[in-house]
Amino acid sequence: MTKLLITEITRMGPAFCVIGLQRENEKIHSIRPVPSSANGWMYFPHQRGDILEFSLAPFPGAKPHIEDRISTRTFQKSSALAEAEIVPYLRRAELARSLSELFGCKIHENKKGSGLYATPSEAQRSICGCETQNLRIELCANELRACHVLPSGEVLRDLPVVDHDWRNFVDAALAPIRGANRLPRLERFLNSHFQYKIMSCPHHFIRLGLTRPYHELCWLMLDTLFPLPRQEWLGEF
Amino acid sequence: MNNSRFPLSSKKDSPRRLVEDCFRREAGSAAAIPSDTVDLVEAGILDSMAWVSFLRAVETASGVSDLGAGLNERSASLGEVLAALQNSTSEISNVDDVSLNQKISSSPGQAMLTGSSAVLGARLLPSEEVDRAFGMPAGKLRSRAGIESLSYVADGENEITLGARAAQEALRAAFCGAQQLDWIVATSETHHDYPSLSAQLHSRLLVRENCGALDTGGACVGLLNALVIAQSMIGSGQAQTVAVVTADVHSRTLTPGRVAGEFGGLFGDGASAFVLRNAARKDSSEGYRLGEFLFGCAGQYAAAIQISDTKDGSLNVQFDGEALSRAAITRMEKVLAAVELRSGIPRTSVGGFATHQPNPRLVALLAKQCGVSPSTFPPIARVSGNLGSSTCGAALHEALRNASKQPRHDRRPIFLASLGPGLLFGGGWLTPHD
Repeated sequence: MTKLLITEITRMGPAFCVIGLQRENEKIHSIRPVPSSANGWMYFPHQRGDILEFSLAPFPGAKPHIEDRISTRTFQKSSALAEAEIVPYLRRAELARSLSELFGCKIHENKKGSGLYATPSEAQRSICGCETQNLRIELCANELRACHVLPSGEVLRDLPVVDHDWRNFVDAALAPIRGANRLPRLERFLNSHFQYKIMSCPHHFIRLGLTRPYHELCWLMLDTLFPLPRQEWLGEF
Repeated sequence: MNNSRFPLSSKKDSPRRLVEDCFRREAGSAAAIPSDTVDLVEAGILDSMAWVSFLRAVETASGVSDLGAGLNERSASLGEVLAALQNSTSEISNVDDVSLNQKISSSPGQAMLTGSSAVLGARLLPSEEVDRAFGMPAGKLRSRAGIESLSYVADGENEITLGARAAQEALRAAFCGAQQLDWIVATSETHHDYPSLSAQLHSRLLVRENCGALDTGGACVGLLNALVIAQSMIGSGQAQTVAVVTADVHSRTLTPGRVAGEFGGLFGDGASAFVLRNAARKDSSEGYRLGEFLFGCAGQYAAAIQISDTKDGSLNVQFDGEALSRAAITRMEKVLAAVELRSGIPRTSVGGFATHQPNPRLVALLAKQCGVSPSTFPPIARVSGNLGSSTCGAALHEALRNASKQPRHDRRPIFLASLGPGLLFGGGWLTPHD
């Protein structure tokens, strides 16, 4: 059995992608348990911080998704960590300060429009953590996008936000039950309180990931943003 | 089939041509143009990455910023993009031009200051400690210049961190998102690195990629230079929202051993920031309207202060304190008199004087010469030292803060005046927006 501290739950379309940290001796690295028949889980009844026990096949996935391991049986929860306790482990796992360190390869700018990508044959991994000097999230034509400044000062723009909790938070903020002017209220929150809440949190941290190859390109996305959103923030706007 | 909400195509329809060109760049040059009502994402013509990428391409090509925000809760169709594009340009100008660029540049407006902030270096040192560091008798800065304490940066602080903090606070005060900025105009008398201050602030603040970044000089008069540029950008229709940022860190340049304490001991570290918006905008209801500016250069005083680098890395400072003090008082009094004349606002009606403050003694003398209360000059230099281009900014922020405590109808005009080596001078005024 392999114990994984769940750090990522992402959502693109109907499926969830899950990543956890595995400790091997003194090293900590990311593992992405995947079902045998797909790249994502249609149902995943756990949350970040949960420590789950998996039965995993020992073979790594194809580059750059070398963290993939096929889950051969059902998994079960053994214990859990609080949110603030997760980030110190993430800081000991894959970590980068600059664009070139993120996935061990050159990152290309989309010359046609927006977004950044890596080529699958060059990228050495598909997940990496980093500190952020500044972060902004916006809703652009119904799509949640993030801009982020790396410690090196390099700026990453228009990253799709696939963090399950943050996407849920935005969906909840826009739910009809919240009354009038939901969108301007959310935009105002994202433009003001959001930044303060993130940057003033002592354990703020992000993880960036690469999409599965699409037309032979892997696009950068924001997989995880700590701190996770809190339900009570909805009452503030 | 045409939907009446969406603009029809015509030979002169450059927005449609632009949208279709951007669509083909994303979907491929051979791709057929879908009808206006087809949801491109739902129909699988573009995925969500390509949809946003396409919108960014339209934004860049049209010069219309933040198009995506206008498309939330709308379908991902070409018709909606066209409608949002038309709405964005008609908000800027009602002139019925064919070219989008013409529309954008033909919308003059008045600039209004809607948010401000000032931040200081985190370490506040008693001036006696600075006296000692420069090898001067303890109490000299306090007794001769009136400086009680100085703000110095802490480890980890610099022009970028101070400027970014000030800008973020000013944006927050203006209820303005960083992505709404069209330009950042920055000034500093101590930041000489590349990327420049404005470029680094651009990254740090996460403004839009097509937000411009400009650095202006002028040393202590730099804020006024930056304000007049921002005002002109808004006035010409080049910009709707501009951030003006000053940031100065003297304590790492004017150090003991490099310059004399009588000069270096006067300076502290700080930053200021202001958000200027077109007064015609719906969300610009509260703030101060920028009046006119006047500038010049009194070259006869140029020798009173000169600073240059030397080959060995030290600073060559020529500082005739007596001559500079006399020139500063004379010239600032003249500038304030000219502002009074041009604005038609009597100095006695002014709520605050946001001026350069070479040192607190000179501020008191200036107030006396002008016949106004010293309390109308926010005490920046007395508490923090001379902050260079940020002195005037910190004073302006303080004057605005004091005004905000008054009922709206009791708020009074603010006069600006500053000087820089050369002897550059500048002045202007702000009036409460009615």
